[in-house]
Amino acid sequence: MDDAPKKLLYIQTNGVESPERSATPFYLASSAAAMDIEVGIYFTVNGPTLLVKGVAEELIPKKDGKGAPLRRFIDQAAELGVKFYVCQPSLDLSNINFDDLIDGVEMIGGAAFNDMALEADAVISF
Amino acid sequence: MPPVEKVDRTLDCLKLLCPVPIIKISKAVKELQTGQTLLMLADDPGSKADMLAWAKQTGNELLGIEEEGKVFKFYVRKTR
Repeated sequence: MDDAPKKLLYIQTNGVESPERSATPFYLASSAAAMDIEVGIYFTVNGPTLLVKGVAEELIPKKDGKGAPLRRFIDQAAELGVKFYVCQPSLDLSNINFDDLIDGVEMIGGAAFNDMALEADAVISF
Repeated sequence: MPPVEKVDRTLDCLKLLCPVPIIKISKAVKELQTGQTLLMLADDPGSKADMLAWAKQTGNELLGIEEEGKVFKFYVRKTR
C-alpha cells in the first residue's frame, strides 16, 4: 500500500428539514477515518443547519423518531479526525452566524473547496 | 482451526452495527504492537465485506475469517 493517505470528501446538502438524510455522511466519513483515510465533510445548501449549536442534540435521524440523536454521530466522526467545513454564503442562505456553529468547524471558500475536490481521491455528494 | 496459535487481544463487536465495528477495530489495532494479532467477533451481516475493505485500505493483514452461524471471527495481524 502507498504511504500517502487516500482522501475522501463528502458533501452534505441536507439539513434539519430531512432528518433521515442527516446522519449518513457522518457514518460513512467515520468508516473512512477508521480506514486511515483523510476525510472531510463540506456542508452547503441546507447542510450547515445541522451544525448549529443545540440542533443535533434534538435531531433523531431514524424515521420512527427512536434512537440516538445526530449529535452522537457528529461527535463520533469528529473524534476520529473527520474535518467539517462550511463557507460563508451557505451560512448566509440560512441566516446562520459562524459563531452559532458547534466547535471544530472550519470556514473555507469556494476556491479551497474546489482545490479539496481536485485533491481528493473521490467526492461523494448527499 | 484458527489461523493463528494465539491472539493478543479479542474484540467483541457482537450486536454492533456499521460503522461501529470498523471504528472499534481501528482504535484497537492502533493500541497493538506491530506483529500482534487480534480476534474480532462480529455479527453485522456487512462486516465481512467491511473487514476485507478495511484490511485492504489500512494494510493490516486479515489472516482468516471463520463463520459460525451468524457470527464472524476475523483474525487480524497489525502490520504497520
